[in-house]
Formats: sequence, C-alpha cells, structure tokens
Amino acid sequence: MSPVGKTITIIGGGASGVLLAAHLLRSDDPDLRVTLIERQGQLGQGLAYSARMRHHRVNVPARGMSAFADSPDHFWRWLQRREPGRHASSFVFVPRRQYGAYLEDVLREAGDRIPGRLRVLSEEVLALNETRVGVETLLGNGTSIASHWAALAVGHETQAARGRGIAVRSGSESDTPLDPDASVMILGSGLSMVDAWISLAEAQHRGPITVVSRNGLLPTGHRDVAPLSIDAADVPFGTSLTYLARWFRDLVRETESQGGDWRSVVDGLRPYNQRLWQSWPQRERRQFLRHVRPWWNVHRHRLPPDLHARLVQAVARGQVTLVAAEFVGIERSETGVRATLRPRGTDERQIMDVARVYDCGGVSVDVRASNNPLVQHLVRTGAAQADSMHIGLDIDDHCALVGADGNVSQRVRVVGPLTRGRFFEIEAVPDIRLQCQALAESILRAE
Amino acid sequence: MLTRKGKYGLKALAALAQAGEGQLLGVAEVARANAIPKKFLDAILAELRNAGFVRSRKGKLGGYGLARAADEIMIGHVIRVLDGPLAPIPCASRTRYQPCDDCDVETCQVRHLMLEVRNAIAEVLDKTSLTQLTALGGADALPNIMTA
Repeated sequence: MSPVGKTITIIGGGASGVLLAAHLLRSDDPDLRVTLIERQGQLGQGLAYSARMRHHRVNVPARGMSAFADSPDHFWRWLQRREPGRHASSFVFVPRRQYGAYLEDVLREAGDRIPGRLRVLSEEVLALNETRVGVETLLGNGTSIASHWAALAVGHETQAARGRGIAVRSGSESDTPLDPDASVMILGSGLSMVDAWISLAEAQHRGPITVVSRNGLLPTGHRDVAPLSIDAADVPFGTSLTYLARWFRDLVRETESQGGDWRSVVDGLRPYNQRLWQSWPQRERRQFLRHVRPWWNVHRHRLPPDLHARLVQAVARGQVTLVAAEFVGIERSETGVRATLRPRGTDERQIMDVARVYDCGGVSVDVRASNNPLVQHLVRTGAAQADSMHIGLDIDDHCALVGADGNVSQRVRVVGPLTRGRFFEIEAVPDIRLQCQALAESILRAE
Repeated sequence: MLTRKGKYGLKALAALAQAGEGQLLGVAEVARANAIPKKFLDAILAELRNAGFVRSRKGKLGGYGLARAADEIMIGHVIRVLDGPLAPIPCASRTRYQPCDDCDVETCQVRHLMLEVRNAIAEVLDKTSLTQLTALGGADALPNIMTA
C-alpha cells in the first residue's frame, strides 16, 4: 500500500460509482488515489443508462439530474452546451444513453482536475478481504489492489427472465424481431414495461399488447409543477400507514382545492422519504412494501408527459390492455407461448396464447441470489448479508457494510440502490448524489 | 406549543411503557394515576390507536397497551399526531400554516426566529424515545437528554 495519501477502490462504474468518484475527486488533496473498476468497460452506463434507444428516457427532468446537489444546473448547462438551443426549458426528459454520456464527462472532468489521481480499470472483482488497515480487492485477472477504503457501487442487477428462458427481456439477445401483428404479453407495469412497450411501438408493432401486473396500474405522467414546501416539523413520522395515508390524502385535497397538483405533494415529501422509511418499525415497512408500494411507485416514478400521453392513447385505442392478475406460469406452445394467469381477486386460471412474453418484472433485490461474483463472495463468507427486508445489503447509517455476525465494516462502504433496505428512496440520481457526497466527505475527513 | 392534550398523551404512553410489554392498562386506572379527565383520555388514546402507537382490547380484561416497543416510539412523532406540526407559533408550520393578520410572513423576523426554534424542537423530540422519556424520573435527569 502506498505510504502516503488516501486510497479508495470503487467497485462498479455505473451511475453510483461514477458519482462517488466525482465527489471524492472534488477534494484538493493531491495525494488522493481513486480506482474505479467496471467489468463491462463502459462508464456511467449501468443498468439504467446503457439503454440503446432514443425513446428510452430518463424519467426525471433535466433540472433534477445534476451530478452535484450543490450545483443543481450542472447537467442542464452540459445539455445546453451539447445541444445549443434545442431545449426550451429544463423540464425536458433526455434519452438515458445521453445521461450516460454526461456521467462519462463528469468522470473525465473529475479525473482531469488534478491528473494522476484517478485510475479506471476494466476488470471483474471477485472478492474483498478486509485487513486491519485497509481492503484487498481481488480481480479476475489474478492480481489484487490494496486500498484504505472500498466502496461497493454494484447497482441494479437484472435477474434471469421467468419461465426458464421462455419469457424474454426486452432488448436482450433473445428479443428477436417479431411479426408486427403478433400478440404480445408484457409482465410488469413499471418503467421497464414502458421501455418494452416503446420499443414495440417504435418498431411499428400493430398486434395486441397485454400488460399484466398484480394491480393493473399504469405509471402516471409528470407535470411541470413545483414541489410543495413541506417541513420536517409537519411530517407524521413513525405513525401507522393508514394514519400517514390519511394525512397525505388530506394534504393532496387541500393542495388541489387551492388549485395545486398532487404531484407537488409527492415531490414535496421526497426529502423526507428516507426518514419516513426509517421511522417505521419492521411491520410498517413490510406492510408498505406489500400493500402501498405499487400505488406509491406509479405516483412517485412518473413518465415524461409526452410518453405518458402516448401510452394512455395506446390503452384508449385498445392496442394495450391492462390486466390485473398474478403470473402463474408459462410454457411453449405450437404457435408461441402459453401463459397462465390468476386474475386478481379470483382463484381462476386464465390461459393466454401469445407470440412472446416480455418479462419486465424489474430488478433483482435478493443479494443471496446475486449473479455478481463479488456479492456472492461477500454473502458466502459472511462479510455481507441481506438487510432485514431482503431488498438489498445490510448497512449502518453511514453506509458501512454489516456482516452476518452484525459486525460493522471499518473499511467497506456501500452506495446506490443496494442500500435500499436502510434508505428505501435511493434509486434515482437526486438521492444517490447526496449519498455519494456525504460518503465522500466522511471518507475524506476520516483518518 | 405542547397542549394539555399532548402532555396527557405522553403521560399515558409513559404509564403504558412502564406497565411493560404485553400488559394492558384500563383507561380509568391511567386517568386516575395521572390526574387526567377520563373522557379526554379516551379521546386521546383513540387517536394514538389510529396512529398505530397503542393497541386496545375490549372487555373485562381489556384496556390499552403499547402497539410497539417503547424505544421505537419517538416523542416528536407522538406530539405531531396529538398537537399537529411541531410549531412554536401557528405561522411557523408550512402545511398547517396560519399567518397572523398583522404581519408580513416574508419579512417578519419573529417568524424566522421561530422557524429556527421549530427545527431545534424537532431535533430534540425526534431523537427522544418513549424509553428515554420514562427514564426521566426527577429534575436532575433532565439535563442529560438536553445534551444527548
């Protein structure tokens, strides 16, 4: 290990890893060394920002997507330099691949500020071994890196499509061209479904599309309204969900009666979402995940207005049908695929024959079933464990990894979506950038 | 800012916490021991039940008990339910905001100060659990929590 300077290894070069590196490199310390390791070789392009199509867009307006919370128009200025005069206002929803390009620029600029401090490796990480003074990071090429700190920024992970490969992931290799009149089923009704649907729509697909989800809900659309100014003193932390829901509905009613919009309430509450989650006992958290989350997600994770309008039209035209049902199973048939559903609130089975089933069931959250060799290693050796909700990794309030024995790691930190067990609202850039800023500051401050 | 309702509610919760987990106390009993009018306490406990802090059982052996562990119940959370936003004066709440007739909210220095006061109040109350409250036996225990 180098005798001088602070060394940090960041594993994962998606949005979370790039943001953490950028925040660390804001320091003026000339002896700081940051190593960013990304197995796929493309930086800033994790699951979210590697989308190929122009129509796969960021679902947060450009004004909210700066890499730096204290420089909120950083992304908007980058966008205007990139595409002068193209966007009338910062209430614009850019293609996700363009945001990936922004993150690449952010990283490059961060590295160029004081040359020699940032090293980027294209490698797989197999293991982390914590020592008394630091962390040893084992790479797929057989070598290892010693550093004072390691940060896991491994982000979202897709699981294999359901039905042992019969269902396919949109945009994957098995997503071969379809007969434009074929009938198609999409499992899931979140933003991944919207991606799959827009890919079909852009390929001039004319056949019927059945969207199956437990609740049959559709994401709502954005509107250009300011968040309501809500104060921590006003928010009912720690209450039952029914109490909070009533408070929330009353506030929406009051806001709307004054000519306001419900979105202002959802967005105004956002700074407190992490605290609300943390103020609940396990039982409330579990109930939220089971009963409230689907409803919350469609209001909280909204679509660009034009995309939303197009989707609503497709439903109105009858091309897209929303079905509230549980997915039971899938098998190959002579003409394609036979899917079995259990319509919501019934014990019946409904059979549907379609040409293809797209699995848009979202991301995998169970770290025990991770495909990532590093996560497997950490869980197997007890250096890491699932959080109590089994939706990510167990960490403490300061993002330190917590092992199976309850021991808090001195040297390993976690950022990004895998910290959702503790923070819940940690899926999007506006929250991740704050987390990365706080973690960078604490690492830079530490001895 | 702490109304009589808030104060009675906290006293009742402290009594339930001291009774121990799984124990139920009758409303009359709690009211008598803490000099709270019983009808008022009925209403207060009903609100605390709606908010998920206490549970009740009807019948001869019925009564009220804590719905969760005392160290998971934060005092600030209880006061918000009983007294509304933690605001020292009405114009210092944003959602239940009531401006004064005689001042301009943007320039009123008193209000700006009271916003600071409100944040300081929340800082203490949201970090104090019911367990900590019940540990505050006498006057000499009070400074500990203020510096915690």
